[in-house]
Amino acid sequence: MASSVSALNRFRSLQLGGITLADFGFFFLTGLAILYLGVQAVFDPKTFFQTLDFGVADGAIYALVALGYTMVYGIIELINFAHGDIFTLSAFIGSALLGFFAVNGNSFTLTNLIALAVVIPVVMLIIGGINVTIERIAYRPLRNAPRLAPLITAIGMSFIVEGVMFLWHGAAIVSVPDLLPHGPGFQTYIGGVFFTFKDVFVVVSAVILVSLLAIFINRSKLGKAMRATAQDRDAAQLMGIDINRTISATFFIGALLAAAGGMIYGLYFTSLDYHLGFRAGLIAFTAAVFGGIGNIPGAALGGLLIGLVQAFSDNYVGSKWTEVVIFGILIGVLVFRPTGLLGMRVPEK
Amino acid sequence: MVRARGLLVLTVAALVAFACGSSSGAAGSKGTIKIGSDLPVCTVGGQSTANGVQFAVNQKNAAGGVNGYTIAYTSFDDCSQGSYSADVGVENVQKMLGDSKFLGMIGPYNSAVAKAEIPISSPQHFTMISPSNTNPCLTKEQLPPLPPCSYHAADLRNGNANNYWRVVTTDDYQGPAMADYYYKTLNITDVAILDDSTVFGVGIAGSFEAEFKKLGGTVAKHSEYKKDQQGSDFRSILNAFRTAGAKAVYVGGTDDQNICIPRKQMKDLGWDVPFGGGDGIETTNCIDQATGNEPGIYATSAGADATQVPGAASTIAAFRTAFPGANDFGGYTMQAYDAANALMAAIGRAINDANGGTPSREQVRAEMAKTKGFVGVVGTYDFDANGDTSLKIVSIYVVQPGLTPATSTGVCGSKTAKDACFVWKTQFDFAKLSS
Repeated sequence: MASSVSALNRFRSLQLGGITLADFGFFFLTGLAILYLGVQAVFDPKTFFQTLDFGVADGAIYALVALGYTMVYGIIELINFAHGDIFTLSAFIGSALLGFFAVNGNSFTLTNLIALAVVIPVVMLIIGGINVTIERIAYRPLRNAPRLAPLITAIGMSFIVEGVMFLWHGAAIVSVPDLLPHGPGFQTYIGGVFFTFKDVFVVVSAVILVSLLAIFINRSKLGKAMRATAQDRDAAQLMGIDINRTISATFFIGALLAAAGGMIYGLYFTSLDYHLGFRAGLIAFTAAVFGGIGNIPGAALGGLLIGLVQAFSDNYVGSKWTEVVIFGILIGVLVFRPTGLLGMRVPEK
Repeated sequence: MVRARGLLVLTVAALVAFACGSSSGAAGSKGTIKIGSDLPVCTVGGQSTANGVQFAVNQKNAAGGVNGYTIAYTSFDDCSQGSYSADVGVENVQKMLGDSKFLGMIGPYNSAVAKAEIPISSPQHFTMISPSNTNPCLTKEQLPPLPPCSYHAADLRNGNANNYWRVVTTDDYQGPAMADYYYKTLNITDVAILDDSTVFGVGIAGSFEAEFKKLGGTVAKHSEYKKDQQGSDFRSILNAFRTAGAKAVYVGGTDDQNICIPRKQMKDLGWDVPFGGGDGIETTNCIDQATGNEPGIYATSAGADATQVPGAASTIAAFRTAFPGANDFGGYTMQAYDAANALMAAIGRAINDANGGTPSREQVRAEMAKTKGFVGVVGTYDFDANGDTSLKIVSIYVVQPGLTPATSTGVCGSKTAKDACFVWKTQFDFAKLSS
């Protein structure tokens, strides 16, 4: 184990014309991808920008999910595998709650607006509560256990949440009413590229949520406590910070973002199934690693980039290769740049 | 409860005695012969199919039974957790095989179940007639451009004489039928094809592509995806189709692979062209997945639509009187009715072979194999040595809005668009086209 790690480190620090081999590999592969996309953008701008539109919208949703992974990892070094399923569960609950309103899926009405204004915050609070409960029962008792133990309970929680959703709705798709403004009047061609109001909605809401999170982490007292706990849990405790409360708050806020992401996903695509979170979670996790796990701006950037990679891969490489490309990036980042794009932030030991 | 059951037995006995006294055919005077069905009756499609068997048996018994025997029908359910299960199907067949009074069965509903059941039933010479199996490999080999069969009809039977028949035709006619319809009726010359990478999806997409090219059409792009890897966003794939110049989309796949989600997303792209596929999308789930963009989904089904057969109207009307529920009549009800009648006819001839006594399973199987010119509701047909019907009819359906299960010929949506239903458009008869 130790020798393979040192071999990897030797490999990473090999010099090639002044820069390390690791950096060279990273920049070479990134440059190659950008060059290829640049050529496509010049020769077929319509397809390029249409794909960009899809990628940005998908990426915005991945970013919201990736933030939850990265916050939890940053504070307790746990990959919370249940996070992707929490994301799916929020859309399930949202779909059920929207059933209580006389919403109109064909045109945008005041009722739709009221329903969304009521349901989205309620779903966020419910999911926040569920995620805090999961932390309380499955992770907190194992906080000082070997790191493999909470990882396994995380996988277990993921299966349990999926199982609950399967029992609730079965394997068939769950529909979320198409409540956002859509159809003629809310869509347009700009230079041959088709844009809809929904695309704008997804991106704008993600930007607002990420900004709010950044302000919260950097300005509020609890945010400061979270940063302190992430940096050094024991020292933070000695300074009088309630560690359990801070970690619960991290899970709560991560779940709020996942719930918002789930609701946005549901309203954007209008259908999902119980298994969605498994894949979406893995991809969002990749995004978090890509941006530098534990790093909040990194997760947002990583989410956006993974969304773009997915859309461009679907279009230029072929959708059956998309997973290969995305998880190839995960491996590439771990080998060439383990700290991710913006640098990893984990507790200092 | 025990007393109630005793009362029921007395009542039935009295009714039977009364029936014996009054009808000239004297049903049940020689005893009973059992037939079963193995269908996923937990689903709307499975139960409506079982209704067809029940109706045929009721009619036959009311008319005096089969050569003096009363037919007793048992409906077995092969559902497990809400959908069909080959394991449960095998258990059901074993139950029937364990009771020597069972001389044949109708079913199964799903090809995957048939694949598991034939090896159990064939050594016992137990006659099986499926109202709805369409996988070609159950009876024959697939020829190029279809991929070769992953299992073989001969292996399933393991040297025993064929004991399996079906009253619908096979998937290898579905793709060509839609290719003809796209090219000749909808006047589409450029299509894009999307398949779900399953054996069924690749096969049906391949047979569509071969026929469409043969007709002179162009396949602008052929993409594939895997459900577990795709997620819900098909827009990049669809945009590539549009950019490539496609004027319609053909999908090879089934709704459980989310194959109809692209239909909804075509609307998200503002791309309004026909969307078609095989019987894997002629379903309620498909309409639900396409939410908001249901009209204009075309689908094939590997059999004749009973509601379009002129001679079937009176039988369907009689059925509707006996089974008045909105979902009692389904796409395979009349196929099941035909299958049950073909089986009972074979049992009748086998009784003659046994000199009026109870025939053996082998006698029933041998008589079933001799079926010629069977006059059923969906047509008059023979079965070949493999067990396939001579009726090679593929029906074409399209989703239209503003309907209900009672006014449409096919299934309807169950979620956002309960009024969007498949409606029969036309049919292709490959037996006539090839001769």
